[in-house]
Amino acid sequence: RSPSKSKRISGFDMAPPNTALLPGATDAAGQVPGTNPAIPGLFSNMF
Amino acid sequence: CSRLHTKPSISPTLLLSNMYQRPDMITPGVDVHGQPIDPRKMQEHFEDFYEDLFEELNKYGEIESLNVCDNLADHMVGNVYVQFREEEQASNALKNLTGRFYAGRPIIVDFSPVTDFREATCR
Repeated sequence: RSPSKSKRISGFDMAPPNTALLPGATDAAGQVPGTNPAIPGLFSNMF
Repeated sequence: CSRLHTKPSISPTLLLSNMYQRPDMITPGVDVHGQPIDPRKMQEHFEDFYEDLFEELNKYGEIESLNVCDNLADHMVGNVYVQFREEEQASNALKNLTGRFYAGRPIIVDFSPVTDFREATCR
């Protein structure tokens, strides 16, 4: 084998295709949905 | 073999589980598209893998022995055994390889009890 001057890229640190890293996989279990908890009593007199 | 091998807490040898994937892993001599594979291509593929592996592992210590299982049966398939001269070198490699990827697949690395590959038969 010829000395690897024009060596192809090593397979090391080749991450998996994006499909494995879709949002569903990164959503931590038990994450709080995007609404902020209302301060109790804040809107009680609005109407 | 029960396959319930002991995993030592320290060893000069590391096991990288199922790391090598033959291009003809589904059917011998045939690629995933059903096309026959040139044996030279197979050899080249293996050598590229071996070279990647050697260069990476060589960063962490002196390699005493580097064995790749390229069998097709399900037992030990693609397992890589690397024996370093010193336990700390293996431990350093383990630390540095854990959590990384090779060719899109996670690297599974553990210490292996094997220190003499001539005696390393599974009973």
